[in-house]
Amino acid sequence: MNLSGIVVAAFPGKVDACVERLNALPGVEVHNVDHDKNRIVVVQEAETIADEVEGLKAIKALPDVTFAEMVYHYFAEDEQFVQEIPEDLDAMTGLPQQQACVPEYLQD
Amino acid sequence: MKQTRREFLKANVAAATAATVGIPLTQAQAGAADVEKDWQWDKGVCRFCGTGCGIMVATKDGKIVATKGDPDAPVNRGLNCIKGYFNAKIMYGKDRLTQPLLRMKDGKFDKKGKFQPVSWERAFDEMEKHCKAALKELGPTGVAIFGSGQYTIHEGYAAAKFMKAGLRSNNIDPNARHCMASAVAAFIQTFGIDEPAGNYDDIEHTDTAVLWGANMTEMHPILWARIANRRLTHDKMRIINLTTLKNMPSELADMTIVFKPSTDLAIQNYIAREIIKRDVVDHDFVKKHCVFATGPYDIGYGMRSTDTKGFPEEKDILAKQKRVKLDKYEAIAQRRKEGEVVEQKNAKSAGKHWMISFEDFKKGVEPYTLDFVAELAKGDVDESLDDFKKKLKALADYYCDQNRKIVSYWTMGFNQHQRGTWVNEQCYMNHLLLGKQCKPGNGAFSLTGQPSACGTAREVGTFAHRLPADMVVFKKKHRDLAEKIWKLPAKTVNPKVGSHIVKIMRDLEDGKIKFAWVQVNNPFQATPNANHWIKAAREMDNFIVCADGYPGISAKVADLILPAAMIFEKWGAYGNAERRTQAWRQQVAPPGQAMGDTWHILEFSKRFKLKDVWGEQKVPGLKAEGFEDGKLPSVLDEAKKMGYDPEQTLYEVLFATPENKKKYPWPAPKELTKGHPNHIAEALGDGWFPEHALWEEYATFGRGHAHDLDKFERYYDDDVRGLRWPVVNGKETLWRFNAKYDPYVKNGDFEFYGPALKALPSGDLDKITKKEKTKLPGKAKIFFRPYAAPVEQPDNNYPFWLVTGRVLEHWHSGTMTRRVPELNRAVPEALVFMHPEDAKRIGVNRHDVVEVASRRGKVKVRVETQGRNHPSKGVIFVPWFDESVFINKVTLDATCPISKQSDFKKCAVRITKV
Repeated sequence: MNLSGIVVAAFPGKVDACVERLNALPGVEVHNVDHDKNRIVVVQEAETIADEVEGLKAIKALPDVTFAEMVYHYFAEDEQFVQEIPEDLDAMTGLPQQQACVPEYLQD
Repeated sequence: MKQTRREFLKANVAAATAATVGIPLTQAQAGAADVEKDWQWDKGVCRFCGTGCGIMVATKDGKIVATKGDPDAPVNRGLNCIKGYFNAKIMYGKDRLTQPLLRMKDGKFDKKGKFQPVSWERAFDEMEKHCKAALKELGPTGVAIFGSGQYTIHEGYAAAKFMKAGLRSNNIDPNARHCMASAVAAFIQTFGIDEPAGNYDDIEHTDTAVLWGANMTEMHPILWARIANRRLTHDKMRIINLTTLKNMPSELADMTIVFKPSTDLAIQNYIAREIIKRDVVDHDFVKKHCVFATGPYDIGYGMRSTDTKGFPEEKDILAKQKRVKLDKYEAIAQRRKEGEVVEQKNAKSAGKHWMISFEDFKKGVEPYTLDFVAELAKGDVDESLDDFKKKLKALADYYCDQNRKIVSYWTMGFNQHQRGTWVNEQCYMNHLLLGKQCKPGNGAFSLTGQPSACGTAREVGTFAHRLPADMVVFKKKHRDLAEKIWKLPAKTVNPKVGSHIVKIMRDLEDGKIKFAWVQVNNPFQATPNANHWIKAAREMDNFIVCADGYPGISAKVADLILPAAMIFEKWGAYGNAERRTQAWRQQVAPPGQAMGDTWHILEFSKRFKLKDVWGEQKVPGLKAEGFEDGKLPSVLDEAKKMGYDPEQTLYEVLFATPENKKKYPWPAPKELTKGHPNHIAEALGDGWFPEHALWEEYATFGRGHAHDLDKFERYYDDDVRGLRWPVVNGKETLWRFNAKYDPYVKNGDFEFYGPALKALPSGDLDKITKKEKTKLPGKAKIFFRPYAAPVEQPDNNYPFWLVTGRVLEHWHSGTMTRRVPELNRAVPEALVFMHPEDAKRIGVNRHDVVEVASRRGKVKVRVETQGRNHPSKGVIFVPWFDESVFINKVTLDATCPISKQSDFKKCAVRITKV
């Protein structure tokens, strides 16, 4: 699970229309609406961070949205991601694992 | 249970987001318990562009668990763009370098060998051997550092001091040379001091934002959000986008002007002509605070000429370095005859200039009529000349309207330009003529691309000609001051300007440099005409060291790779484009054996004794008053008199001095560290705090010289979100040169007090007529600069313009961002953007692979005819982040002859279907 808080700015007078469009997007929930400032806070949930970036792009592409930027990122997915990195990076200096430390890219 | 937890987290994310951007919380949110209670939040700065957004970083058990835009950061007010979002993530990619790697065969270093892990000790042994061999054979000019606009301030200062005070070499030059050298040269020539007068607050004060070759939507999204917000909340606000291809800012812009490469020079002169014709010159401001100036036009293109190592195909272009046949437009623009052949006599004195009269200035801009400029500059063949003229006139209207505030923004469009210094100066020309400069909402503002291009590269002076605080190595007064602060014997600092970044590459190719160290950048991908330099690195007798977090092309062509710590793995500080200096603490430990660049430099400095480097040194071509030609004198005797021992190391003399150890101890007070570690101080293990010591020493250069920084600790205060220098009596400076805001203004309402180049001879538009110099204290210069055609233009063999640049999701050469798999999927490979009809004409469809070739090299790339960039017919755009589409093999290594900044924005190519 990956959660991000995104602030969306709508063209004046188009806030409600934007709220409707935002709520229709998969994984997107509108939480706060500020009509005075034409700002909407949404929380996006996505399986992967890739989906999250795509989701943000979809929000930016909505009609009447002037900008949408991420504000807050909860790294739930990163716990898993970080676990994919070998725990013992220090131990990788040991001989048997040495080659693994040289990215293949460097050798061609 | 899980559902509840998810809902709970979402409510928390929404509440944190709303609170960050100042949106009222709902009742439920206000009452929600805090999931963050056992996290430690600390302030940080974004690693990526020059905007300098504040981000908050949360750690728990030595790992980063969350980041958010910093609500208290005045720059971004809680927002972050996509790149900012990945600050914490870039440290954890799979290819992260975690130990030194050396090319070896049979247990020994071998230039043709494969990379194998070695110990730090072994790595430094090898570096020492090759660095000392190069020094012995070639002297201080035989070694070089490729520096960076991404250095922390401390790293850049340590590197510059190691080179300039230690090895007595000025061959340190940053990738920032490719990024904003033209901006610097224009600041120095116009104002006598570097960096902008205004700041980002101008956005909320202005009525007009004019983008000159700056795709802010993609490159500076947070500033763009502020501009968009201004457009929506201030009725009078207008946005104009001047560009060589229609791009994302056009979606919000009120007007887009598509012009031909280099014709921005002509458009600016058209505006100046209109300002004069409509008599909206602010005569009072100009009379009191400005003079008029010009310089030679025959300055070449910063290329090597034909008698060097050019490929056969590129020789016709290289020949233009010596002589140029003027085309029709240049002839009119420069008041000459079409077809005239002009010897480029001032290639080596491109920066010289002299005062002219206002009458001469008027004569200079007279040829730039609407008819002439429109015909020359129109960049979209499908646009009618009348429509284009209307736009140019409207643009002039915006500038000339005395009731309208206006800010001009630019980045690489101006800076990466064969006449980059000129076009920057022209922007000041119009703002100064109008008196719309250094005032809230009025000014010409140079944006930057790297997080510390200003803070480190420029302010610290990690350039081949610079010392800290705008001083230069070729001035005795400046060397004397540096030697005093650095406690060096007189004549230690080398007065000969070193090699700029493109020249370091050329010197490697010529065998003039045999040891080069890459720090915090990727020059072998980033330098144009790359085929030459890759060959030089791999085939010549030299030793290339590359320090990096991830392997890129520069690591690949290196002989030794040093694993480097990244952003939040070290203490650091950056300076952004509005003179704001911001600092952060180490948040997490670097992985494996990776270490900060400051540690690399300090450890390596232990390998040199004074007697190795402060004896007599040969410096070919050195000619300076007080120095024997071609030689730096031995300063060892003088050093002994000062109490140094020739057996002492550079580490002891330059860095871990008794004073530093006493004044800046590690562990440092808890109020400063808040319990955060410092892997560099701990690894050095001799009880001092290098970042603190380097900061205070560096700051002595600028204090009292209009570059004042506050004390190190102040930047770590909870209530400080960076400070805009000069910081005088604890107070930052918002608009420089303006008496209302700038304590350095001593006389009158405005004073351009920058000290550089403030005595000029006089003359007319073509030459100096009176050699005697007039002093110009407190004045800015309004330059006349003519249109000059790009040195390479499309022809029958190479019919397309190639423009290169960046895209939002990737940043620079992509060695950080490309390792984040998610970003890679968003833009999996660089594309060539082209007009659909051009694609049709050469018989290719969207997503087909084509070969893009110039006189210098070629790449294969996939075609895109839709999407976010819309080039006009005859123009293509290829971003440069993707090493598999190595576009710098194709680009031209012409530079602005004054700033030596390369031009990535224009060369001629052909496209063939593969």
